[in-house]
Amino acid sequence: MTPRRPGPACHPGNRGPRSTNDPRAAVVRLGTLAIVAVALGAAVAAAGPLAASVVGPPGKSAADRCTACHRELDEARLQAPALAVGNDTHHAQGVTCAGCHGGDPTSDEPEVAMDPKKGFLGKLEPTQVPAMCGSCHSDASFMLRYAPNIPTDQLAQYRTSKHGQALAKGDVKVAVCSSCHGAHGVLPPSDARSPVYPSRIVETCGACHGDATLMARYGIKGDELAEYKKSVHYAALTQKNDLSAPTCNDCHGSHGATPPGISSVSNVCGTCHLTQRERFDESPHKEAFAAIEQPACEACHSNHAVLSPSDAWIGVGQGQVCGSCHAAGDAGAAAAESVAAALARMHERLVAAEARVKKAERAGMLMEEAQVKLEEAHQGVVLAQVEIHSVDPARVETQAKEVLAAAGVADGLAAAAEGEIRFRRTGLFVSLAVIALAMVALILKIRRMERA
Amino acid sequence: MRLLDTLWKALDERLELAPLVEFATHKEVPQHRHSWAYYFGGLTLFFFAVQVATGILLLLYYRPTAEAAFESVQFIVTRVPFGWLVRSVHSWSANLMILAAFVHMFSVYLLGSYAKPRELTWWSGFLLLGLAMGFGFSGYLLPWNELSFFATRIGTDMTSKVPLAGPWLLTFLRGGEEVTGATLTRFFGFHVAVLPMLSAGLLGLHLGLIQRQGMHVPGHLAEEARTRKPLRFLPNFVLREGVVWLFGLAVLAALAAFFPWELGNKADPFASAPAGIKPEWYFLFMFEALKLIPATVLGIEGELIGLGAFAVGGLVWFLVPVLDRASAHGRRSRLFLALGWGVLAYLVSFTVLSFLGAFQ
Repeated sequence: MTPRRPGPACHPGNRGPRSTNDPRAAVVRLGTLAIVAVALGAAVAAAGPLAASVVGPPGKSAADRCTACHRELDEARLQAPALAVGNDTHHAQGVTCAGCHGGDPTSDEPEVAMDPKKGFLGKLEPTQVPAMCGSCHSDASFMLRYAPNIPTDQLAQYRTSKHGQALAKGDVKVAVCSSCHGAHGVLPPSDARSPVYPSRIVETCGACHGDATLMARYGIKGDELAEYKKSVHYAALTQKNDLSAPTCNDCHGSHGATPPGISSVSNVCGTCHLTQRERFDESPHKEAFAAIEQPACEACHSNHAVLSPSDAWIGVGQGQVCGSCHAAGDAGAAAAESVAAALARMHERLVAAEARVKKAERAGMLMEEAQVKLEEAHQGVVLAQVEIHSVDPARVETQAKEVLAAAGVADGLAAAAEGEIRFRRTGLFVSLAVIALAMVALILKIRRMERA
Repeated sequence: MRLLDTLWKALDERLELAPLVEFATHKEVPQHRHSWAYYFGGLTLFFFAVQVATGILLLLYYRPTAEAAFESVQFIVTRVPFGWLVRSVHSWSANLMILAAFVHMFSVYLLGSYAKPRELTWWSGFLLLGLAMGFGFSGYLLPWNELSFFATRIGTDMTSKVPLAGPWLLTFLRGGEEVTGATLTRFFGFHVAVLPMLSAGLLGLHLGLIQRQGMHVPGHLAEEARTRKPLRFLPNFVLREGVVWLFGLAVLAALAAFFPWELGNKADPFASAPAGIKPEWYFLFMFEALKLIPATVLGIEGELIGLGAFAVGGLVWFLVPVLDRASAHGRRSRLFLALGWGVLAYLVSFTVLSFLGAFQ
């Protein structure tokens, strides 16, 4: 939101032709947009102190007459913004309604408060919104008063985004700042109620990107939201409440939202999956994929519906990912077979060791050391699975050996525990036999004594 | 044998032990159809002796600090030769001791053996059971695991409900406002010094009174006891008690070997309490009953009413030799007999139902 610099430059933009079918109207509208952009740019660039009635001191809630009057209005459309200011971060920091809408927030008289001569703009057009928000949020020295660490390049990023580019061409259907952050009652992104909070951003983007009809005009399928909801990323976000799990903006960018190109996919995934990216970059796949214009990670893992990977994917059989490019008998198929065999060996040994350790635990033995070794083996399996991205069977085999060794130690500890259980049971039976013998001897002694 | 005779003579010459042996050989234990009840006091004593012996062994390795307690118990059960057995026996024996004490107390109550002139024996026994439960409560925290930590937090929290002295009692028990390492050190002190000292004194008094006053024969069994030949205490009764002790030892060994006492996870004061947390089984009757009382009753906190009711109930149970005036004349009061069976039914049913998850 912008603390307005009152002045005539702010006026245009909220008036203009509405017909979208009339080519003349379109020309007029584009012209108006250009004027608005220039006017707002001039307003932003204009130096000078901000009116205290428009923007109060930071940390002190804004006091204006706009909300007092609008709360009393019968028309819900005009009343709602005034009711929403209670949660609004801008209002809480002293920015009045006039900060964005212009006018005189100190007056009780509607004619004065909403006087175009006092810079009143009314409802902002979508085309006005980015520059309006940017007039404050792109001003590093101004933003310093509120949040010293907040980025101030949102507007610049937005202009590079697909949304920003389309808006510049006059497409008012695309997202602007208020589409995602809300217009009134704007909350900081760190607030769990904010539409851009990690757990809510999927639905926010999905409001448009889940609408196949709307997306069709942009050549987008519109199934991205549904696909993403099948992914491990969404499961981590919603089931494990892992807020670091990637959502739309983590891969596409937030203000500069744009789809990553084929050559950038591994960079995007690699921001989190560093080692997989390194192994892939070292592998012969990197050049081969580039040559056939195949996106790196997406080729095997998909883009939005990133499923939990399985070792069963390795191979050239039906439903196995290597089969997309390789066929039985070629070098790639042989490498895949070799990798799959190493993975299967690891799993077999690990499952057996785990079962043995669990059995010993059920028998009451403390198997903490074995559990540490099993954990080590599990980590080894993850590393071996990472090595798959190098498509080098030798590297997977090296890792597999470490897994087998750790599982072997756990298995050995479980065997020792089984021996200890046998010893304890034998000891118990011997003890019980001795106790029983003593009891019998005592009973016999008592009987003989009492008979006598 | 000659050596033993010489040793005996030397001791007798100095300590005049012969009259004691004379007393023991002439002491008799009456026989009737409920004579089995006479063995449970001895069985409780046997488990107490096991507790003392295994407790001393555990003390060799146990370290009573929040940082080291859990690890030291872990060390005992994994590294110390037969440490697992000693710890498991200590834990199982504690439970069997309290079970035997409960059986002993109810058999004494239902046979009316608390009657005059045995009031002091009843009172000392009542206090000994209280001390045994105190041993259980303080010992439960010592491994410093998740369950014991939160059970202690709930248990000590109840003391804060005591009118006037509540906050002071809570701070006294915890060594601060929260359950911390200070609570552990304090509970260790109670467990290995204060409670054993009190128990030793009371136990001496309890056993001395029994020896002095002899075994009680309930009025309705007096005729039967007269017609049956009594057992000589030494050696007949002692040998029979020996068989019972050996049986107790066999049960203890089997439980310790087949069901080693779990250690669980180390206590984390910042973690949330695990679901379904419960105290030891002998506190369940109280724990579940308190849960059933509404939060407020007539404007008074429900928990306070519950604790007040238990305090009054405990006092009535303690004073029963005085309240049951008929018992002093060798008659059984139907009211107090019904009270005894009612309390027993309540304790057993609430404990069993709690184990079956009926209160969840």
